[in-house]
Amino acid sequence: MSHTPTTRTMTPGKPGAMSRAATLDVAAALFAWGCAAIVTAAFAWLLIDVAWRGVGGLSWSFLVDEPSDAGRAGGVGPVVLSTLLILAVCMAVSVPLGLGAAALLAEFTRGDTRFARLVRRSLDVLAGVPSIVFGLFGNAFFCLALGMGYSILSGGLTLACMVLPILIRVTEQGMRDVPDAQRHAAAALGLSRTTTLLRVTLPAAMPALAVGLVLGVGRALAETAALIFTSGYVTRTPASLLDSGRSLSVHIYDLAMNVPGGETHASAAALLLIAVLLAINLLTNWITRRTHPGWH
Amino acid sequence: MFRAIAAHLMMTLMLAALLGGCGDSDAPATARSPADGLTGKLTLTGSSTLAPLAAEIGKRFEQRHPGVRVDVQTGGSSRGIRDVTSGAADVGMSSRSLNADETPGLTTHTVAWDGVCFIVHRDNPVAALTNEQLLAIYTGKIDNWKQVDGDDAPIVVIDRAEGRSEVELVTHFFRITTPDIKADAIAGENQQAIKSVSTNPNAIVYLSIGTSEHEAARGVPIKLLPLNGVPASVATVLDGTFPLARPLIMITRNDTPSPLVDAFIAFATSSDVDDLVEAQSFVPIKH
Repeated sequence: MSHTPTTRTMTPGKPGAMSRAATLDVAAALFAWGCAAIVTAAFAWLLIDVAWRGVGGLSWSFLVDEPSDAGRAGGVGPVVLSTLLILAVCMAVSVPLGLGAAALLAEFTRGDTRFARLVRRSLDVLAGVPSIVFGLFGNAFFCLALGMGYSILSGGLTLACMVLPILIRVTEQGMRDVPDAQRHAAAALGLSRTTTLLRVTLPAAMPALAVGLVLGVGRALAETAALIFTSGYVTRTPASLLDSGRSLSVHIYDLAMNVPGGETHASAAALLLIAVLLAINLLTNWITRRTHPGWH
Repeated sequence: MFRAIAAHLMMTLMLAALLGGCGDSDAPATARSPADGLTGKLTLTGSSTLAPLAAEIGKRFEQRHPGVRVDVQTGGSSRGIRDVTSGAADVGMSSRSLNADETPGLTTHTVAWDGVCFIVHRDNPVAALTNEQLLAIYTGKIDNWKQVDGDDAPIVVIDRAEGRSEVELVTHFFRITTPDIKADAIAGENQQAIKSVSTNPNAIVYLSIGTSEHEAARGVPIKLLPLNGVPASVATVLDGTFPLARPLIMITRNDTPSPLVDAFIAFATSSDVDDLVEAQSFVPIKH
């Protein structure tokens, strides 16, 4: 812009008009800052509140011990293990499936075929389905129809169904955002479509996949309704994926709502859950930055 | 780099899943051979009020019978009744009596009672309150003790924390919802509820009958108010005359007798679990 001479110059104009525009600018800026401040303050308040109530209950023994007296005493060791296993099952299933579906939508059905539109529409509807519906579906399908019973496997698969829509849509958008010029260049080099996908598009869309992952993990970790009917309520240390195992969110819910005197341990467990969430967030961020220096 | 890490993670997970899966499927059946011969897995589903107690009972049962695993799941009383009927669970849990159409083919076993009474300070001259008076006090329509033949002093209405089974019982009894209650303070713990009344002659609160009777017997200055003319005591809860009480029930099927289920029910209704029942603020059954 700077090198093109412009005929328009800044005219002082009427002092009144100028100041009105300036006032508007200031007001808009204040409003924007205010909104951001409110959002940040709400998060800070939540964090400080949970930390304040929960930090007293956190200790090494709380992290590793088995719960006793319905969770009022003891720790959350088996619960943390179950939570991580459920998350692992969920991710092991949803990431490959999600990548495949996103690749189909973004690479193999360019444009708007009827099929692609149908898939997209279904995903958007699925993403909005209340989690209790996934819970009841998971209970009916995985636990009963497929005979997995209340188990970590059932819970992880139910969560995978729930997380997939977000994961696919975000990854698909990431793949679409890769400039076509890169695909053309790959084609000009004689690369096959698959090679282009694996070597060009996918690496370029990795940051988007990371965002999808963080969103998915967040939703999975926070989930209570979908898990209480699938992975269940048992606090024993799981010996396998076919054992029932209580997730941290279910544990927090039970302590806060069902167990008189469970508030202290509920807060400590909530703080732990937030810490795990933040840790996963930071880790994903760090990996993405390491592999994609330009992205933030 | 990212892909390498991801692939590595995935391999580890799959391996862990495979190994874990193999290990489990035959572990409870063959690995141990306990002396009493009881082996296998029991699944309980149902009432979230009873679930924490059932889980504790299950844990103690597992300690005595190392070959047994007791899995407790929640989902509400109706689900417990449905699951035991369909066979999805070995034992159902309910915090309400069964409807007539739910009973065929099922046997119910009361494992504990959940009873709630209203208490005031021992020096409060009011000896009894009618259901209408209690309702008026808790919905804010009566706010002075002299309106119910007491001293000229404002009533300090104390409610219990949302989600507690006491709240469920009381709101159900008065046919109101929690927002209808106009309280001056909320007491979470039973001890907090006791203290709020024992230190304030103008306060009223409701809580577990077992705990109230225990504290009153210890000399804490509280008074248990009768309801519908029935004195509030563990005895009237157990003989079924106290109106603000409900049985906590375990349900079994008649057509599939199992020594494991029988042993568990016998244990859950024995005096061996009384301390667990009391720890959850419920009233143990007569043995």
